[in-house]
Amino acid sequence: MAAPKKIPDRHYNFRGMNAVFAWSSIALLVTTLWMVWDDYAKPWKRLQAEFRELEREQLVTEAEAERAKLNENDIARIEEDIAGEEAALANKRNELDELEDALVATGKNLYAADARSRTTKSLLDTERFQFDVALQSGDEGRIAEVRAEVERLAATHLEQRKELESFADQKKSLEADIESKRSGLESSEKRLAALRSGYDNLQHRVASLDKKIDYYVLNAPFMDFVLPDLKIEQVILSGLYNDINFTDVDRVDRCMTCHVASTRAGFDDETWEQPFRSHPRLDLFLSASSPHPYTTFGCTTCHGGLDRATDFARAGHSPTSKEQEQEWREKWGWKPQKYLEMPIVPANYSESGCIGCHAGNVWTPESEHQDAGRQLINKMGCYVCHKIDYPAFEDLPRPGPALHKVASKVSQGFAYKWISAPREFRPTTWMPHFFFQPNTTSPENLERQKAEIRSMVAYIWSQSESPEYPPAPAGDVARGQELYETVGCTGCHIRDADAKRDDFFPQINRLHGPNLIRAGSKLSSGWLFAWLKDPKQYNPATRMPSLRLTDREAADITAYLLTSRAPEFEDAELPAVDHETRDALVLEYLQNNLTIERSHAELDKMDDGARDRYLGEETIQKYGCWGCHEVAGFEKAKPIGVELTEEGSKPIHQFDFGHIHDVPHTRHDWIKTKMLEPRIWDEGKEEVKSYSELYRMPNFGMSEREAEAVTANVLGFTKDYVVSSRRADQAPGAAALAAGRKLITSYNCQGCHLIEDEGQAIKTALEDVAQLPPNLASEGARVQADWLFGYLHDPSSVTMRPWLNARMPTFGFEDEQVNTVVSYFTHRDQRESFLSTPSRPDGRNLTVGRVTFNMLQCAKCHPAGPSASTVAGVSAAELAPSLLLATDRLRHDWVPEWVTDPQSWVRGTNMPANFQKMKDGTYQSPLAQAIEAPMFSAQKREMMRYFESEEELNAFLADAGQVTVALRDHIWWNLN
Amino acid sequence: MHNYRLTALCAIVLVLGFVACGGGGGETTVAKESSQPAPAAAPAGNGAINGTVNYSNGDPDTAIKMGADPVCAGLHSEPVQTETVVAEAGKLANAFVYVKEGLSGSFSPPADSQLLNQEGCRYTPHVSGIMTGQTLVIRNSDPTLHNVHALPTKNEEFNQGQPFQNMELEKQFMAPEVMVRFKCDVHPWMAAYMGVVDHPFFAVSGADGSFSIAGLPAGDYVLEAWHETLGTQTQSVSVGADGAVDVAFDFAPTAG
Repeated sequence: MAAPKKIPDRHYNFRGMNAVFAWSSIALLVTTLWMVWDDYAKPWKRLQAEFRELEREQLVTEAEAERAKLNENDIARIEEDIAGEEAALANKRNELDELEDALVATGKNLYAADARSRTTKSLLDTERFQFDVALQSGDEGRIAEVRAEVERLAATHLEQRKELESFADQKKSLEADIESKRSGLESSEKRLAALRSGYDNLQHRVASLDKKIDYYVLNAPFMDFVLPDLKIEQVILSGLYNDINFTDVDRVDRCMTCHVASTRAGFDDETWEQPFRSHPRLDLFLSASSPHPYTTFGCTTCHGGLDRATDFARAGHSPTSKEQEQEWREKWGWKPQKYLEMPIVPANYSESGCIGCHAGNVWTPESEHQDAGRQLINKMGCYVCHKIDYPAFEDLPRPGPALHKVASKVSQGFAYKWISAPREFRPTTWMPHFFFQPNTTSPENLERQKAEIRSMVAYIWSQSESPEYPPAPAGDVARGQELYETVGCTGCHIRDADAKRDDFFPQINRLHGPNLIRAGSKLSSGWLFAWLKDPKQYNPATRMPSLRLTDREAADITAYLLTSRAPEFEDAELPAVDHETRDALVLEYLQNNLTIERSHAELDKMDDGARDRYLGEETIQKYGCWGCHEVAGFEKAKPIGVELTEEGSKPIHQFDFGHIHDVPHTRHDWIKTKMLEPRIWDEGKEEVKSYSELYRMPNFGMSEREAEAVTANVLGFTKDYVVSSRRADQAPGAAALAAGRKLITSYNCQGCHLIEDEGQAIKTALEDVAQLPPNLASEGARVQADWLFGYLHDPSSVTMRPWLNARMPTFGFEDEQVNTVVSYFTHRDQRESFLSTPSRPDGRNLTVGRVTFNMLQCAKCHPAGPSASTVAGVSAAELAPSLLLATDRLRHDWVPEWVTDPQSWVRGTNMPANFQKMKDGTYQSPLAQAIEAPMFSAQKREMMRYFESEEELNAFLADAGQVTVALRDHIWWNLN
Repeated sequence: MHNYRLTALCAIVLVLGFVACGGGGGETTVAKESSQPAPAAAPAGNGAINGTVNYSNGDPDTAIKMGADPVCAGLHSEPVQTETVVAEAGKLANAFVYVKEGLSGSFSPPADSQLLNQEGCRYTPHVSGIMTGQTLVIRNSDPTLHNVHALPTKNEEFNQGQPFQNMELEKQFMAPEVMVRFKCDVHPWMAAYMGVVDHPFFAVSGADGSFSIAGLPAGDYVLEAWHETLGTQTQSVSVGADGAVDVAFDFAPTAG
């Protein structure tokens, strides 16, 4: 009988299920392991581990170098010393041990002796009694016996005591000896430790980077959640936002995860490559003591990029060149991040990040590119066509000259040639080329442009007044040249046909005014003479100041300037223009507002001149000439260009790259290319677009550096991501500083003066550095606000430095402008604007002040009396401002501080320090010592009348603080 | 920190049931295998360079007008010449000659100080050299006010007044710099130049144009001669272990 078929008690197959479970659990395990591994094997971990290795190697090398620096001889000698001292100490210790043994033994002896002595003493007493008894009994023999016994006992006691005391003395001296040996040993050990400390520290640090078992366990997969060494470093930056899908989210910067060493100093030599390098200028950036600590500002605030990314490509790194791009692709798997709104700004444009917080300042201290770029924007006048809504670009003067009297200055033929190609006449000019650009080369367009230029000249001349200027008096060219070179013209002007604008980058102060070449082919002597005498008579808004030239001086300079000529620009005639082209252009403009029929009728109504003027006006509107030049009829026109306020945040797809394919699709490449070739995006489109649709951005002839500097700014014009409390331009006093800096830049004060360590551009034109105009460091602390106010209004009112040939010009400032400058200086130097006059000091200060003033021979350089005969003058360099001006000009609280340490106020000043600065920051006065010399005995007697004792006088003279106040009092009350 | 690490480690060890673990503890020292001796701190040598500085013209110096400060004028009975170019019989004095390249190791400055004296309203010596870290004593030997205004670019600038006779000031330069100019703002004709170098191998040519640098280790060096108006010249020299090498510098008047 067949066994009954076993009926399975379950409705599924065991074996089958087991197989399924087995396989799926294996799959699950593999997946889990894969997951853990994938999470574990992040590139940043590899980088951190690599950096750890590299740092350890570096430390090992440093430790080796440190040890190499250790003078082996010194160490050997000290080690020998130590060995010797240790041996000596050991000897002494042995001796001490022996001595102590002896001491103990003697002590025992002494104790025994003492006990014996006590016994003996009682015996003695007995004997004495016996003696007395014996005396009474009169037994002579007995008496002698007892007396001898008593004496013997006394002698023994004395001896033992002496012995004990000598041991105690020996012990004391031995202990002292040991102590001195021990301290000798300690100091040797300390010396050795000090010598080796650098080395030992490094060794210690190496040890901390050694990979011991704890490192492997703590950083192993599965276990690295507890306390790993390799971990994501991040900083949460509240108040600095990122726009994520229309929501402002606090930034969380994780850049430090890979850029491990950026906040640490010492990783900046060429052996260190990114991402392991220190950030440059840690005194300015990232470190806790810098103005931009990492924990407050993070990285992406300035650099851009995706704050949370820990992956090279996703972070948004931007290569600076094709080669770098290729390298990155291979090494880091770089690919362009199309959807990342703000990729990291490439290294050469990093300074664009300053603008977010420093937008209100005209200068960003310490920036190079960006500050130069801002000055270029000012000079080129970008802001007149493109609205840039930042305080730094508001209320700036028009960059070009007013044209409402131009008919009296140049000929129409010259104007035509100039507008056609300004750099042909003056290669360094800031005036750009509007015409005959690569996108306007067809024969029709050439004709159109000629018609436009000619009609512009016609319009401008129709609007211009033309006052007559009588010819200048005859001048002397040589004298004119000398004046030009010395009186201060060269702070703002050059006169060099070969100069290029780029030669001056980034300090463009001397390009503030025009290059004065070829004036003889452009200007009449009468106009130039009148202009030099008083620029404001021609143009009340000009920034050209008056140098208060006499007629003769002005005539000499005129004669000199007119010697430079370019004959091809002389006697130029207005060219004839194709009337058909002009009329077609006029019609086109008319048809913008009128029907075709009406516009033809309108055209027919105009005569030839009217058509010229009409087209001229339209053309001036088209190119926005009135932005830079004041042109009658355009006082209220609106900017014609694209607003740039948020250009740096504009999505990349909104940039028109035209048919150009070799320019990478990044913001910075687009902007830089546009700066260099403004019409490039029209390439291949001249035939397709109508004439009026073509790009009309003019060509400024920028160099690479100029273009990059401007680009660094435009990139920084981004949406506002920074809370106002973090912004530098919101700091107290920032507004006063910004306004002052703006005016200082506008009027080019730094062409001559050093302000905030920038400027004195005139230095390159002066032969004698002693002729340099003053450094205005500490000006706000130095001079009285009301004096400065008066001086800026009328610099001719007082001459502080008669040896300077360069004159402080008269700018013809308004009160408001002068107040801006005064308030800038007082804010910058953190002084109150006004201060009370000091009260008259006592006789002691006046006498000490007078005596020390003479002892220190201040009058060797400073005129201190109404007659100049006290001054030892041979050359300009040795003279100093007259002290008779001091009370009106200087702040009385500043003078003692200045005299104490002039170099700390104005680096490089010719005023010597009379008090030596000691290491502890105090100042040592030489007067206390000097007064003891016989040659000063009379002076000493004179001062002693005010002092109780010589000590008191010496204490006064030794105190730089009191002496400098006495000197000030002398200047204030005795001299003035 | 170490404690946290240890705790974390122990926790992990316990949790995972590992038994043996030898973490923490002993400090590893720097690998010993690279313990070759350090580059010699100051290799001494017996080599020497002797040389002459020639000049193809005479001494164009002129008399100084010291009348501006009567004290200065009173210190001299004879007219005093400027020291811009001091040359006689084709030999140029006051050229600073030093080893510019080729030395290795470090040299400690001598304990002796160097004196820059203001004497007769002039600096003595007019041209000199000093080692980094060496003490410079600046003395005013005149009964008038001098200020010693050093104009270095790599070291710290100073400008100290010395109103009293025999006042002294001590300074040190820590960075090599050829040359540091000194001027006196009170007496514009006064100038001195000092070459700051980090080794002792320099010299200043004497009135006969000669100079000598001794104690050089054997090697190839670049030697530079500096003159305040005639510029600098360099030469390569090979110095043997013993014995002297002769070199000559030839200066010519600069154009203009």
